Amino acid sequence: MPVVATIETPTTELAETYAKAEAHFGHVPNFVKALGTNPAFCKALTDFLVQALGEGRNSWAFKELIILKTLRATGAYYSYGAHEKLAMELGVPADKLGDLNHSLWRTSPHYTDAERAVFELVEQTAVDANDVGDDIWNPLYEHYDAGQLLEIASVINTFINIGRMGDTLGVSDPVLFSKPVT
Amino acid sequence: MARLPYIEMEDADPVTKQVYEDAIARFEMLLNIFKITGNAPEIAEPMWEIYFQILQEGPTLTWIDKELLILKSTKMGDCLYCVTQHEAVSARLGVSEGKQRDIVGVEYRKSPHYTPAEVAILDLCAHVVVDPEKIPAEVWARVKEHYDDAQIVEIVATIGAYLQVSKFGDSLGVQLEEVWHGHEPILFAEEPPTSKASQHHLDHFLAQAPASQE
Repeated sequence: MPVVATIETPTTELAETYAKAEAHFGHVPNFVKALGTNPAFCKALTDFLVQALGEGRNSWAFKELIILKTLRATGAYYSYGAHEKLAMELGVPADKLGDLNHSLWRTSPHYTDAERAVFELVEQTAVDANDVGDDIWNPLYEHYDAGQLLEIASVINTFINIGRMGDTLGVSDPVLFSKPVT
Repeated sequence: MARLPYIEMEDADPVTKQVYEDAIARFEMLLNIFKITGNAPEIAEPMWEIYFQILQEGPTLTWIDKELLILKSTKMGDCLYCVTQHEAVSARLGVSEGKQRDIVGVEYRKSPHYTPAEVAILDLCAHVVVDPEKIPAEVWARVKEHYDDAQIVEIVATIGAYLQVSKFGDSLGVQLEEVWHGHEPILFAEEPPTSKASQHHLDHFLAQAPASQE
């Protein structure tokens, strides 16, 4: 049970946020309900999650891989299974998901150099964000433009936040999307 | 060195311009951390809304409580950019230099500058930064003695958001603006960075001539 009350029935202040979450996810995730006692923060974080979880400058399927690697690299548990399910629904094969584990992605035939370059960024950001040098950035410039790189950095750091928040509040969301994503 | 271009006001699209204008109204200048998000306006707008919510009084926490959480979480991440900016914000809100100094390590626990309520949320903050899986029940008990659920949401959201933006800015090499040159961060003087890379950034920053002399 979360450390804070989860608000099942939206108050007037929460109605718009819950409606937006339901339209995007197919239901209101428990994470959103756990923020419900604070409508201002519930709205701001839900708006940001809705923006992050969808097609973008990078494909949604790739963003899911970045999210999964970020959760792994930071030891976060919140929503890992839901993002695995989501990645598979977006077309990522199970073998490829498995090769995200520890260092398998470095040699896996399922991953491209472009994808590996991003996972290097994920792992270094998790270890020490102050120490992300040319060795990490130069391969990224070969494969991505500035807008894509901003999105990649945003996805990584957003899910460092979401993973920490979900785990701290004791939230479980085994399924994030209950409506078709493709 | 910033790893992506800073998008200046004159080059920004209308959505980003509005974000920049809101940021200037709030912070009196356009910070580099905002300019780098101009590379993806659709992300900048909802992202910064979270920080606009944090950096003000309420809705349920005092701004000072939030600044203490920001200083604690970003100091633990050795974020020179965030610590420098938020030492200044905290000072403007009336947080004394002594109180700022005592936030490092566990000094705040025995400091006369901190209330039991503040100690409780700083203890929670330290656990969230290191490993939420290991938050002791007694820490939650002390937090709940002083804060209700809406406040706890705001506490955890503030810690999480500053883990997010500090690592975001540091990984992208976002630099402190020239106006900060010549300023020596209090918290890093009290306790040097544990990250060698962060120490290198701090040494480089301290070697810059004060802005007024340039």
